[in-house]
Amino acid sequence: MRKNRVVDGKNTRGGIKRFTISMQRKLVVLLAIVLLAFIGLGVRLFLVNRDNGQAYSMQVLSQQAYANQIIPFKRGKIIDCNGTVLADSQLVYNVIVDSKAILEKDIYMEPTLDALEKLGVNRSRIREYITNHASSQYYIALKNLSYQDRKDYLEEVEKGIAAEKKANVPAAQRVYSNIKGIWFESGYSRIYPHNELACDVLGFSGSGNVGTGGLEEYYNDTLNGTIGRKYGYLDDALNMEETMIEAKDGNNLILTLDANIQSIVQKYLQKHNDEYRSLEHEGLGSNNVGCIVMDVNSGEILAMAGTPFFDLNHPSDLAALWGMPKLDANDEPTDAYLSYKDILLMSEEDKPRYLNALWRNFCISDYYEPGSTAKPFTVAMGLDTGTVSPDDMYFCGGYLMIDGFKIKCHNVDGDGWFTVGQAVEWSCNVCLMQMAEKIGKEFFTKFQNVYNFGLKTGIDLADEARTDQFVSDSTMTDSMLATNSFGQNFDCTMIQLAAGFCSLINGGNYYEPHVVKKITSPSGVTLKTIEPRVLKKTVSESTSELIREYTIQVVEGHNGTGFSARPAGYRIGGKTGTAETLPRDNGEYVVSFIGYAPAEDPQIACYVVVDRPNVDGQDDPTFATEIVRNIFTEVLPYMGIYMSEPVTDAEREELEEWGLEVTYTGDEPSDKWDLGEPYQ
Amino acid sequence: MVRFFGSISDRIRERFGRRRGLLDYSLLFIVLFLLAFGLVMLYSASSYEASVDHGDSAYYLKRQLVFTIFGLVLMTWVSTVPYTMWKKLSVLAYFVSIGLILLVIPFGMEVNGAKRWIRIPGLPMQLQPAEVAKIGVIIFSAMLIERLGRKNLRTLRGFIFTMIPGTLVAIMLWRITDNLSSAIIVVAIVYGMCFVAAPDYLKYFVLGAVVIVLAGVLVIVIVNTSDTNSLGFRGERILAWLDPQAYASGKGYQTIQALYAIGSGGIFGKGLGQSMQKLGFIPEAQNDMIFSIICEELGLFGAISIMLMFVLLLWRFMVIANSADDFYGGMLVVGVITHISVQVILNIAVVTNSIPNTGVTLPFISYGGSSVFFLLSEIGIVLSVARGLREEELRRMES
Repeated sequence: MRKNRVVDGKNTRGGIKRFTISMQRKLVVLLAIVLLAFIGLGVRLFLVNRDNGQAYSMQVLSQQAYANQIIPFKRGKIIDCNGTVLADSQLVYNVIVDSKAILEKDIYMEPTLDALEKLGVNRSRIREYITNHASSQYYIALKNLSYQDRKDYLEEVEKGIAAEKKANVPAAQRVYSNIKGIWFESGYSRIYPHNELACDVLGFSGSGNVGTGGLEEYYNDTLNGTIGRKYGYLDDALNMEETMIEAKDGNNLILTLDANIQSIVQKYLQKHNDEYRSLEHEGLGSNNVGCIVMDVNSGEILAMAGTPFFDLNHPSDLAALWGMPKLDANDEPTDAYLSYKDILLMSEEDKPRYLNALWRNFCISDYYEPGSTAKPFTVAMGLDTGTVSPDDMYFCGGYLMIDGFKIKCHNVDGDGWFTVGQAVEWSCNVCLMQMAEKIGKEFFTKFQNVYNFGLKTGIDLADEARTDQFVSDSTMTDSMLATNSFGQNFDCTMIQLAAGFCSLINGGNYYEPHVVKKITSPSGVTLKTIEPRVLKKTVSESTSELIREYTIQVVEGHNGTGFSARPAGYRIGGKTGTAETLPRDNGEYVVSFIGYAPAEDPQIACYVVVDRPNVDGQDDPTFATEIVRNIFTEVLPYMGIYMSEPVTDAEREELEEWGLEVTYTGDEPSDKWDLGEPYQ
Repeated sequence: MVRFFGSISDRIRERFGRRRGLLDYSLLFIVLFLLAFGLVMLYSASSYEASVDHGDSAYYLKRQLVFTIFGLVLMTWVSTVPYTMWKKLSVLAYFVSIGLILLVIPFGMEVNGAKRWIRIPGLPMQLQPAEVAKIGVIIFSAMLIERLGRKNLRTLRGFIFTMIPGTLVAIMLWRITDNLSSAIIVVAIVYGMCFVAAPDYLKYFVLGAVVIVLAGVLVIVIVNTSDTNSLGFRGERILAWLDPQAYASGKGYQTIQALYAIGSGGIFGKGLGQSMQKLGFIPEAQNDMIFSIICEELGLFGAISIMLMFVLLLWRFMVIANSADDFYGGMLVVGVITHISVQVILNIAVVTNSIPNTGVTLPFISYGGSSVFFLLSEIGIVLSVARGLREEELRRMES
């Protein structure tokens, strides 16, 4: 130290060691190095700006997430003719979970899980997800949370946070303030307020606003709107400005369908299904029961249903498949039926096949041999072409030999001589075969075409079948002509037969059947009205009158096959049908009845087809006529059609039981209905 | 040379010479400017995240303001205390630093996966022992160098001996609190103090070159490692440093977002408060990455202005060191110079991706209570050195 002071004396002041010149020099060197580093960093900053400035500026703008946000549109409603909403879209929210935010602090986990549980998320499952996907920032934990539920939740949390802040709860003990990583994404969800009602007609629309089946598919583009967008841009002052193009909501459909009639129809179809359920084999009351109720004079569909029904809000619920026939490799029904065990064990490949079978609209997508309901059509073509005269008499000997086949009547012993009207009333095959022979193949095939058999009717529903396996008159064999005359050996769909039949009884006007009456804008302004459209003239007015007369006899006549279809107090006409399915002689039948009311001035037609009822003796049209009778009994008063016939005491009692009023105002009962047992 | 530097210091003393016993207003002004600017930038960078996370856009600003005010009070007090007192307390300061680091083991609080803080009972704040250690090492090393004498630093043995206490603290910071960047800063502080005190140059430049070469070799080894899983997070950070785009969703995310901010700022920036990167893209923008927000909002102009402000601060430190009343006071100032310059350089180097990502705050500007509190006490010490010793103390020393 001493030595130091002597040598470096200049830098001491009174013996105190000081900052020497050499140290000052080194400090300058140190600062020079620091300055150099600063200059280097300044150059680096400059280079980043020069080389990447533009690219990075773009990058900054492009990662602004809200720069481009989609605003969902609201899919249009489907509304019945009375204003009942059958399909609607509601604003709902998806609950999105951000694992990263939740895992940021340990104290976030439990309060967040509590909140999620309150929203209806499975606690253990979401905990597992969050721990296994720690970096996930977008996971849809819950779908379709209602607007109200979300609002309640947000209000509760807001209040909770404020209370905790006020009470100065320590961070670790806070509940609401520690809820992290939950946010909501808005969207629309399709709601069907009446679940099963008109399921086949409506079809359903799932995520992505794509309709499956029925109106939802056919009118998909009409129902859908246009998505909106929210995006940002930078103005001159480099401020982020937000612009929004509003979403355009979809248009609404107003139907000809009447939800009240539809529910009456579905009630009786379901009743049939329940009554005959598992009688002959474990399974549904019948493979299918279809029913169409339509306006005879406009082609408007008032109701349309086919069993089994399904819940439009849960269309993929496999439980609805129970009792349906198993499908073979070609998706054709077999004689085996689905049990719950089969459904549980169903393979992933089979599920869509069976669900498609469930979602099929039996009334327009399935075809079958119509049977005797085709007889009025044959008679009408005979009358219209003049080949058959109303006064002709035909002899039934029980069967006819054609092309070497013995084609039988119901009564193989034969019933003797019939007029044309009686042939229809008794539903005599032999007479019809003779008529067809007189009509000839040329007229017959031409008229089948006029009746639109085998062709699409053009109904505004998805998946209408086309069945044309038509033969020209040159390829038609005699036996084919003979069997076609009573509705065997050719296929048609329910809607084809119903639309054709309406034309037979309404004076010959073939209306295009339709379900939608009007298309309205989201605000309710009518954009398009769909008027009834006459596609063609099938038969003459006079022929139509005769057909009405004959088909009334089917229900009213001494030997009418449709006696059991008559609703109390009303006069109706109609025709039964009993068709053997292929292969023949296996005891399986499709039975049907098409009726119309009131008899003198037909307004509505009701066609019911029961496909293979679950009973031992299937060849009984009563399965169909009892459904039609029930439907008419309720629907006719609903439509404001007064009774025209006296009501017996037994019928009066029954009506009272149903809660229906007797609207007959005419004379006292005559002995008209005391005719004893009708012919069976 | 000698005369040149000597004449400079003489001239400086004439021109800007301080008057004994008074506060150094130039230094005070620079510090207050940096603090005020820092608070403005902190509010700008943090308001978005604060309102999202805490429902109060001024959340971080308020906290930082409280620490700044306490820091200023402490600074004022320290500046009036004769700095010779720290010489007497230096051994105590050293062991308090070590003790606080050890307290992390039982009482440490984990934030973002690292245990670097000690909870202060009864207060909603934490203490970062690393910040205490920096000032403790400065006080202790200045005393050590004075005791051992400048001559001793000429020998390798003396140099190593001087480095040992600081290095020990650095190793503890690294191993116990897992805070490598603070460890590097502590070693750099002692190294810088030795460099200024020692009469020779060669040893220090050679050693510096060796460290740089070793670091380069390490980087090459890591780049050529096939099994990237065995590297740990520091190895990954080096890979992310070399190619931030490839790690843009992971370790390179912060870096690449900071670069976007710098690149999109241009020459004059988007304007104060107009940063878009602070809107959730640069996480905790008020912390280590605040310089990138400065670049984005104020551009190259603003960034270089701030760097010049730091240069001005260091220059003022130098003036004070040169005219210190004694060796110990000068060494204290040298310690503070090294501390602040190393931290500024490392911070800006990280933000510009010039070195691998490591958590270093920008002095006076980044958010951090402990950091601003102890930085201001260091300024207090420098102010005390600038004020000089009282006559009776000088007399006591002479006798």
